[in-house]
Amino acid sequence: MSDFSMLEYGLGTLQALLIIVLSPLIVGVMRKIKAKSQKRTGSGIFQPYYDIIKLLRKDEIVSDQSSWIFRYTPWINFVSTASAAFFIPVFLVYSPFGVVGDILLVVGLFALGRFFTMLAGLDVASSFGGLGSSREMMVSALLEPALFMTIFVIALFYGGTNISTIVSSANDMSILIVPGVLFALIAFFIIMMAETGKLPFDNPSTHLELTMIHESMILEYSGKNLALMEWSHAIKQMILFTLFVDIFFTWNFVEQISLVGISIGILFFIAKVSALASFTAFIETRVAKWRLFRVSDLIAMAISSSMIGVIFFFL
Amino acid sequence: MNHKETTKKYYLELEKFDSDLKKLESNNELHLSLNDPYQLHDLCEFLKKNFELRLLSIICSDEQKLNGKFKIRHIFGSDVDDFFLFVISSIDSSHIYFPSIYDVFPSSILYEREINDMFGLIAKENPNIKPLILHDFPNDVFPLRKNFKLNNIVQGNLKQFEFTPITGEGVCEIPVGPIHAGIIEPGHFRFSVVGETIINLETRLGYTHKGIEKLAESMPINDVVFLSERISGDESVANSVAFCQAVEKIAQLTIPKKAQQIRLLFAELERIYNHFGTMGGILADIGFPYGASRLNILKEQMMQLNEKLSGSRILFGINQIGGVKANITDEMLTCIHYVLDDAFQTFEKTFDLLKSNSSVMDRLRNTGIIEKQTARDFGLVGISSRCIGIETDARHTHPYGYYPSINLKQKTPRETMEHQVELQKQIGDVLSRFMNRVNDLRQSKNIIDSITTMENDELSIQMNGELTPYSSGLGYTESHRGETLHWVMIGEHNSIFRYKIRTASFSNWPIIEHAVLNNIVADFPVINKSFDFSYSGNDL
Repeated sequence: MSDFSMLEYGLGTLQALLIIVLSPLIVGVMRKIKAKSQKRTGSGIFQPYYDIIKLLRKDEIVSDQSSWIFRYTPWINFVSTASAAFFIPVFLVYSPFGVVGDILLVVGLFALGRFFTMLAGLDVASSFGGLGSSREMMVSALLEPALFMTIFVIALFYGGTNISTIVSSANDMSILIVPGVLFALIAFFIIMMAETGKLPFDNPSTHLELTMIHESMILEYSGKNLALMEWSHAIKQMILFTLFVDIFFTWNFVEQISLVGISIGILFFIAKVSALASFTAFIETRVAKWRLFRVSDLIAMAISSSMIGVIFFFL
Repeated sequence: MNHKETTKKYYLELEKFDSDLKKLESNNELHLSLNDPYQLHDLCEFLKKNFELRLLSIICSDEQKLNGKFKIRHIFGSDVDDFFLFVISSIDSSHIYFPSIYDVFPSSILYEREINDMFGLIAKENPNIKPLILHDFPNDVFPLRKNFKLNNIVQGNLKQFEFTPITGEGVCEIPVGPIHAGIIEPGHFRFSVVGETIINLETRLGYTHKGIEKLAESMPINDVVFLSERISGDESVANSVAFCQAVEKIAQLTIPKKAQQIRLLFAELERIYNHFGTMGGILADIGFPYGASRLNILKEQMMQLNEKLSGSRILFGINQIGGVKANITDEMLTCIHYVLDDAFQTFEKTFDLLKSNSSVMDRLRNTGIIEKQTARDFGLVGISSRCIGIETDARHTHPYGYYPSINLKQKTPRETMEHQVELQKQIGDVLSRFMNRVNDLRQSKNIIDSITTMENDELSIQMNGELTPYSSGLGYTESHRGETLHWVMIGEHNSIFRYKIRTASFSNWPIIEHAVLNNIVADFPVINKSFDFSYSGNDL
């Protein structure tokens, strides 16, 4: 597996860059759809890019109560999510960097970023940061087992935790042959909503500091650091979306490496992810945020759904 | 029953209270003067035992120039009869104590704290005599005393405000505000939490204290109408009508029918746009922007209608003493009906959607429950009291203006029965407050619909001559938050001697500290919004 050509490494890097660069666009698309559903015009779909550029130019204010954790967290976050992007196939069925790590590593990198975000929330000694961190801990403590369960269902059906293996066998098999994967799909979708802080788990657009989860942890960030936090959140969302379409909607991967093939692959990828983003945004307009302590019910649903998937495998 | 008979009924009962009282009646007010202020407590116990009265307000006024005394008026009101009882006690200026009645009417704590802030009179037995409105203000300066001039520079030792410390294992404090992340009014909330559960909340308000009551004493009486509109921007009609009615009561003016109609129309339009806005706010706070945006569109439509009718989106500049300034013609009335029909069609559709959305209903149901007894003790008014099945509505119990002339369909006995059952079912959660707002909206729509033609007379009449100095009157309206009381005492040359405002927000605010108990912090915003109190109307 380790003898990839330079071209392939180049394409792998291109895949990762696509995820990193396109991630704010997906945020913009989702915001636009939500604005439309609320009968607002909304900002343009490129607004998240302008926001990041604006924030990068801005000065920042750092609490004098904070330690190095607060200052390093955005970097750790960005680097961990951006490096996770390298393991994700986008238009090829594999990622040449997949040799280094599998899906568990991706989950681990997310956990690393989240761990530091929670620490940073506590670090600034503001009451909201602590509130956000404690909520995030509660949600993530429930989410991680659910995520692992789902991954194991997928791994059982597709023979391994290496993402390239999963995606290529998913590409070979129709989802109809392995109905157990459908349950993993349901579970994965719920987890994806929770991981990216969507309704009904978290309301990313709220101004209410008392109801936030993710937002209240990063409340104290400004300027460049805020830009990095926002961007890495967008990348994480993009990675999850990409994984979702990679595993469950495997149409039109590039078979032969050619310029036309790759261009079509990229277009299809953008179309698939945008469709998923639109669907997620649509779901978001249909529900109110759930009570904080009922969020566990939804995650329990994800866990039980993947349990059924496991049972299907052994039937 | 007319005023005379009602008053007589109470009068006869009061005879039984064994003490020498001076009694004075005017309109629907009965004034009792106590010779000895320390009889007050006994009298209150007597009132509590024999009548169903609610403490509406305690008004203090500095009448040292007249008779060397402070006058304290305890106002009681009935929720059944159109009747107000004033119990007047005089406090010698050399003696700064007056009796507290908190053990009989617990809501008095609030008013006694206010009097302590503003006049430096101390309710002796009151267990909680912390500063209420004035922060960072000298200890020995009392702004509503007559010797305090508007241009006085205040200095001295500042008042101290200490939050009640809540200790215990795992108890954390979360200070929130006075500056919030959203664009809302300032208020400080000190939560004590165990995990996410709130075990105590202490509010500290007063950040928008503008000194309205003091300011009014320096203004010409016609200008005070503008001041009263600015007590709280979203209840401008309710407040200015209450003030105008108080003055008109003193002057014994009867304003033209048409002016009454216009006041009523604007008051109901104000109620409608605010209820739309609040319900939108509730939905935004539970994280349902889809529904919130639809209700906010309706609010915007109503505000644009307001602007078209009066030139002001929030209905400023409508009222004047003796009538109104803005006209509503028959064509405009048709326009109101047309816009309302349209808006309510959309509203009913949105409401159906909300009712069938389980995630919305789940967030509203059983959140922020208040107890009936607590509601009675605090003397809640408006939506906050109706949500637990206590009916307080100044429009029904103290009909004013054009309200008595409105012919709404009489309720059949069966409907009355159903209404009573409905009241018993109210459990005082966010959902019942939400539903009460819906009912209120529909009722307002019916009231406006019942007016089909405008009366054909003047917009206002002139107030002639000078008002009798030191005569007083109570004006009352039902704002969208509840019963609003304005008490005016006229000074010499048509000036204002004392202007006391008690908005619904003032008497309702303390309930928030009880409603949030055992709820989680994340639910606080929606509980707060479901009550929808005004900070500005509270701080004055």
